Amino acid sequence: MPNNKGTLEIRSLSKSFIVDNNSLQILNDINLTVHSGAFVTIVGSSGCGKTTLLRIMLGLENHYTGEALIDGKQIIGPGSDRGIVFQDHRLLPWLTVGENVAFGLDKLKRKEKKLLVDEHLKLVGLNGFESAYPSQLSGGMAQRVAIARALASKPEILLLDEPLGALDALTRMYMQQELERLWLLEKITMIMVTHDIDEAIYLSDKVVIMSSRPGVIKKIIDVPLSRPRNRASSDFTRIKAEILEEFHLGTEYPFAYAI
Amino acid sequence: MSKKFIQRLGLKDKLLAIMVPLLVLAAWQGAVSQKLCSDLILTPPLTLLNTLVELAQSGDLTLNILASLKRVMIGFLLGGTSGFVLGILMALSPFLNRIFGPLIKALQQVPEFAWMPLIIMFLGIDESAKYFFVAIGAFYPMVLNTYQGVSGVPEKYHELARVFDYKSFRYLFKVIIPSALPSIITGIRLSLGLSWMFVVGAELFGSDSGVGYLMTWGRAVFQIDLVMAGLVLVGVIGFAMNLVLEIAEKRFLLWREPVDGRPA
Ligand SMILES: Nc1ncnc2c1ncn2[C@@H]1O[C@H](COP(=O)(O)OP(=O)(O)OP(=O)(O)O)[C@@H](O)[C@H]1O
Ligand SMILES: [Mg+2]
Repeated sequence: MPNNKGTLEIRSLSKSFIVDNNSLQILNDINLTVHSGAFVTIVGSSGCGKTTLLRIMLGLENHYTGEALIDGKQIIGPGSDRGIVFQDHRLLPWLTVGENVAFGLDKLKRKEKKLLVDEHLKLVGLNGFESAYPSQLSGGMAQRVAIARALASKPEILLLDEPLGALDALTRMYMQQELERLWLLEKITMIMVTHDIDEAIYLSDKVVIMSSRPGVIKKIIDVPLSRPRNRASSDFTRIKAEILEEFHLGTEYPFAYAI
Repeated sequence: MSKKFIQRLGLKDKLLAIMVPLLVLAAWQGAVSQKLCSDLILTPPLTLLNTLVELAQSGDLTLNILASLKRVMIGFLLGGTSGFVLGILMALSPFLNRIFGPLIKALQQVPEFAWMPLIIMFLGIDESAKYFFVAIGAFYPMVLNTYQGVSGVPEKYHELARVFDYKSFRYLFKVIIPSALPSIITGIRLSLGLSWMFVVGAELFGSDSGVGYLMTWGRAVFQIDLVMAGLVLVGVIGFAMNLVLEIAEKRFLLWREPVDGRPA
């Protein structure tokens, strides 16, 4: 299936919030092009505006200067071309896991719905949990349900806000492989916020580094490694050092800053 | 019976709950049979039971309970439904809220029994007056709790609805009402409870059937046991209705119960 839809462009975008009658600039002159089918990750310190940027791409934030375009068209609100995994998983507590995954599939027939739900629950390793309620899940399981929900409605662009944040290291690596597999399979555009630099390098074509107050794009680093990637390869480590350098976490004193 | 078994049934709590009433009943029965006070004024519990059995056998009991329940149901449906609909509309439309909010707050200050003379003037003392009176009682808790529940739907769920393109009735029934359901159910419970109180009140004002009527009639013919039997009935039926709703609430809000005490 040829797919050249799902190109996202952000042009000289700035965004302020009004806090106590003062205008507080959150994003400043953001320029970013994400080509159709690319995997781009955004890293940056807490509060630098990553979630805000994703919300603009999703269409939930409308007051900004500059442009946010999808396939050349201004984003005016959420649409089925874009899916989201929110930072808080945002499952609906009164729906079961299966019903949550089916939340975006309301217009489909029962049978198709069931098929898609089963498929995507299996994908995130939660088959058998259809009838559990979100309150009965661990944080990591809830995040996986949220991923299944976003994928089930087959978006062209999937926005992920720290989707693997609550997972243990092993599940996390497994989910990274799964995300990569899905991305290769579905050929959709993925834009993901993460705090994990290894994860960013493992998954993305480009790593966007943001810095805060106001949030600007400090640097965009290409990751020209072939897939699947070897986390221990020298190229991988070199790119990691390059990114850490941007956070002034040079390899000489990594621990002093990490604490 | 083992200790564990008793605990499992929650029998201990239940025993504790009926201990005081049983003691009071025993003391009461004792006081009357020792001729400490006249049994014309204070009917002993056993006589009361007897009266209830007689009422049941004559068919009067069922007839009057049904008459009251019918009024409760109709009044509750009228008042509760309009409260529910208005509560939703007010929570979703700031405009309607500005119109109806102050009005409802002002009217709420009027003690509900103060409506009675006006209702009697317009509707007389027939059935429709009673429905209307019960409906007023049912209306307030329903409109207030529904309003509170719906306006308290977290912004994150509204956003989710926007993302997945839920609009109008789908949005209302799949997102807003379920999210507000705990509050709405509280509204239903309070509303039905007040309906029951109000129906008895309305029947005391003038009626030829119903549990309230049993009591006024008992008073008129100076049959104190009838008055007291009516009191018992009012209590027991109100308690039973609340119990049924509690069970329904547990069933509907199953999702709120986490396995390990974590909040949803
Ligand atoms: N609705 C809002 N009103 C006012 N300020 C806001 C609002 N939303 C976000 N902000 C502010 O914007 C800044 C960026 O927030 P944002 O959530 O985008 O950060 P983030 O990069 O996602 O952080 P984290 O990594 O901790 O999730 C923060 O300083 C936050 O306080
Ligand atoms: Mg964030």
